[in-house]
Amino acid sequence: MRPGALLLAAALALPLAVPPRAAALDDPAARTRLTVLDNGLRILTLVDRTTPVVSFQSWVQVGSGDEARWTGLAHLFEHMMFRGTQNVPGDLRDRLLRARGARGNAFTSNDVTVYFEDVTEEHLPLVIDLEADRLRHLVISPDVLDTERQVVLEERRMRSEDSPQGRLIEALLALSFLAHPYRTPTIGWASDVAKVDVDACLAFFRAYYVPNNLVISIAGDFDEEAAIARLRERLAGVPRAPAPPRNPTEEPPQRGERRAVVHVPVRAPLVGAAWHAPAAGHPDAYALDALGEILSAGRTSRLHRALVYDGQEAISAYGGYWEMERAGLFYAGAGVRPGVDPARVERSLLEQIERLRETPPSADELEKAKRGLEVALIRGLGTAHALASRNASDLLTYGRIRPLDERLEAIRALTAEDVRRVARAYLRPDGRSVVHVMPGPDAEAAG
Amino acid sequence: MRGGAAARVAALLAAGLAAGCALAPAPAWEEPAPPIDTGPVVDAARLHRGELANGLRILVFEDPRLPQLAIGLAARRGAAQEPPARAGLASYTAELMTRGAGGRDALALAKVVDDLGAELDAQAGWDAIHAEVSGLSRDADALFAVLADVVRRPRFDPAEGAKVRQELLAVLEQRKDQAGALAQQALARVVYGEHRFGAPLLGTPEAVAALRAADAAAFHRAVFVPGNAILYATGDVRYEDVRARAEAAFGDWPPAAPPAPPPPPPSPAPAARRVVVVDRPDLAQAQIALGHDGIARTDPERMAVLLLNDVLGGSGLTSRLMERVRKDAGLAYGVYSAFAMRRAPGPFLVGTSTRVSEARRAVDLVLAEIARAAEEPVAPDELRAVQRLNAGGFALALETAADVTEALVDLDVHGLPPDSLDTYRDRVLAVTLDDLRRAAREHLHPERAAIAVVGPAAALVPALEGLGPVEVVRP
Repeated sequence: MRPGALLLAAALALPLAVPPRAAALDDPAARTRLTVLDNGLRILTLVDRTTPVVSFQSWVQVGSGDEARWTGLAHLFEHMMFRGTQNVPGDLRDRLLRARGARGNAFTSNDVTVYFEDVTEEHLPLVIDLEADRLRHLVISPDVLDTERQVVLEERRMRSEDSPQGRLIEALLALSFLAHPYRTPTIGWASDVAKVDVDACLAFFRAYYVPNNLVISIAGDFDEEAAIARLRERLAGVPRAPAPPRNPTEEPPQRGERRAVVHVPVRAPLVGAAWHAPAAGHPDAYALDALGEILSAGRTSRLHRALVYDGQEAISAYGGYWEMERAGLFYAGAGVRPGVDPARVERSLLEQIERLRETPPSADELEKAKRGLEVALIRGLGTAHALASRNASDLLTYGRIRPLDERLEAIRALTAEDVRRVARAYLRPDGRSVVHVMPGPDAEAAG
Repeated sequence: MRGGAAARVAALLAAGLAAGCALAPAPAWEEPAPPIDTGPVVDAARLHRGELANGLRILVFEDPRLPQLAIGLAARRGAAQEPPARAGLASYTAELMTRGAGGRDALALAKVVDDLGAELDAQAGWDAIHAEVSGLSRDADALFAVLADVVRRPRFDPAEGAKVRQELLAVLEQRKDQAGALAQQALARVVYGEHRFGAPLLGTPEAVAALRAADAAAFHRAVFVPGNAILYATGDVRYEDVRARAEAAFGDWPPAAPPAPPPPPPSPAPAARRVVVVDRPDLAQAQIALGHDGIARTDPERMAVLLLNDVLGGSGLTSRLMERVRKDAGLAYGVYSAFAMRRAPGPFLVGTSTRVSEARRAVDLVLAEIARAAEEPVAPDELRAVQRLNAGGFALALETAADVTEALVDLDVHGLPPDSLDTYRDRVLAVTLDDLRRAAREHLHPERAAIAVVGPAAALVPALEGLGPVEVVRP
């Protein structure tokens, strides 16, 4: 990354009117090596000796969007990956890593489950061995599953039930997707988490935690050959499995606005709206990102100006494109100032959306949006962790690592008309879903 | 669960993955952990310091790897400086500094920043106010000009003052929708009472409602003086360049004495156990915050306290509290403990959340673990584990130039030795079991800890009976 960064700087220093020369960029992606084992395991390696850190990440291509019967299983299973193996029982794994100062965690989304450990170079062999061990010798005991499901139910209460924002997102997804599995929250419904059993966990593990459904991405300060050799040694013997099952359901077109109200005794109600947008990999993604910038990047953005600064009716306002593997959404929302009618804030929010559907943004706004997207790309190169994430995410989502210059070119090629076109195509009034989180008619406000 | 887990498992192994293993070298976990590197962590060749004649210190950490630049100025006074009746003044002042400065009104200033894809932010902490602007290094001229205006020539326009006041009041009201924030506020009030630490950093609605732009202007004049501030820069920039720009932009900043430090918080605080329940009948979880007075950032025993806290609840999944409350009992997603180290002693606190029906059990487990840490010696391998955790992970916390710069500025704000980052790992490894024992005796007081719980009072009040006098309040 870093040697290339200077060239990237030079390229960015060109006036925007001059077409950028793609060949001038030494993108870290170009130095990333992809090794595919016979069993289908993909290993991405990117050496950068200017950082003291190496980030090791396992990206399993399974998320809540793959769940068939038990909602929340992908996430609950993620928890079980930390609860011991035949060889490394109980919390020995945590203790070994802690004694080396490792920083690790995991997360589950609609499409992927990601495990990571960031360490200094000398500890990478341990991280590799522990990862290979839990992929081969994981233990799922009923007792531990029972404890962990309680932990997840607490996580659900904290993040979804007692959080007004969590309530908003849960309702907006369920409203936007009638059919597609993205309608269920990644953490699952409480009743499913409460009942799922060891057999379901094991079946899930065998179906999805297989080498041909896994990408290991390593970036930073490490010995590339040694790491690949060690991974080969530890995981090449695991047989390839049948292609994991995927949900076949696609979302039918939406015919008419959908609305929901969630009653929570909040002081500051929330308003959120969502529209169907393309799945990842669509060429309109750049224009949709620019639309998000124009709506909500900085204090001069349209939503901040209209709802927060001038209108003084919202605490915050935002809009953006949420790209997922199998479907996408464009969302917009606002935190309502106490005492203001949420309906008024919704009107202001949708009025700003309508304006962008009718009139292209100004040249100034478009340039600002492009600049914002470019700066975000550069900021995304700052750590070993970010580099490893970018490589794995791109490979899983797009089947390749998108070169930076390709993305910069696509950003620079955007026109004001592109932005208006995608606003008109996707942000249609009869295709939107709107949620209010607010106190019920007979409930007194909290406190 | 540990140790016995494998035995109790009824062969529930992932058989599909267990097959086909070739001969391989012994697993790395059977080998001893490599020794900890204790060398310097800050690349001295990239770090430069200087000082202008008026006393303004300069710190530059060069990093040409990416074409970015962040420059900022930290003044060594923050919310702790506010009279309690003016709680929120520092945050109000910081925000207002970004709402028009020099020749630009609020919108013009926002536009110059947004057009560069840059960010401008001013934040008040308890002990300092930071103003910072960051963007691409090719925009250095514009970024420096913005910072100089924001620091030296904020407009404090009354109309903007009114807008910011309304925004802050709305945010304070919105905080009441967040159970975690309510628990911490309730705890701070019980621990510190009328002292400034008893109210939230952002202030109280009563105090904020009375703030005017002129108050911010006066606070700014008192706090932002060159001898009490440090100018910092990091990214693709040279020290000589920053020095020259600082001379031009800040060289004629007249020196003045900083305000006297505020009165210290009460101690011991609280003097006896107190329980407060914040009634939120709608919540599924009880939000628990528990604690008492702690130590100052400059306390000579802070290393021992840090390690002691890591054993107890500061080190993530393997802390004692995580073991008991999450892994063994399944009562919570998270539980943590922390000593908030400020210029004056800040609170020691423990936070967690659990289903309402288990609130008492969670409180009891937490109190029992604090008592055990206070009374029983920490095992030698536990000390070694947290020493290795802190020393081994230290390089990770300083991966980026921004990380290093932030840590160095924090040292400056608290007047700590400038080489503290380089000596950190040695100081961690020098802590002994005796040090931990002394720290535990002096700084953990479960018997007088305050307990704040947010949730349905109808269920919580009877459940918490016997812990101490209970007060019920509304958010």
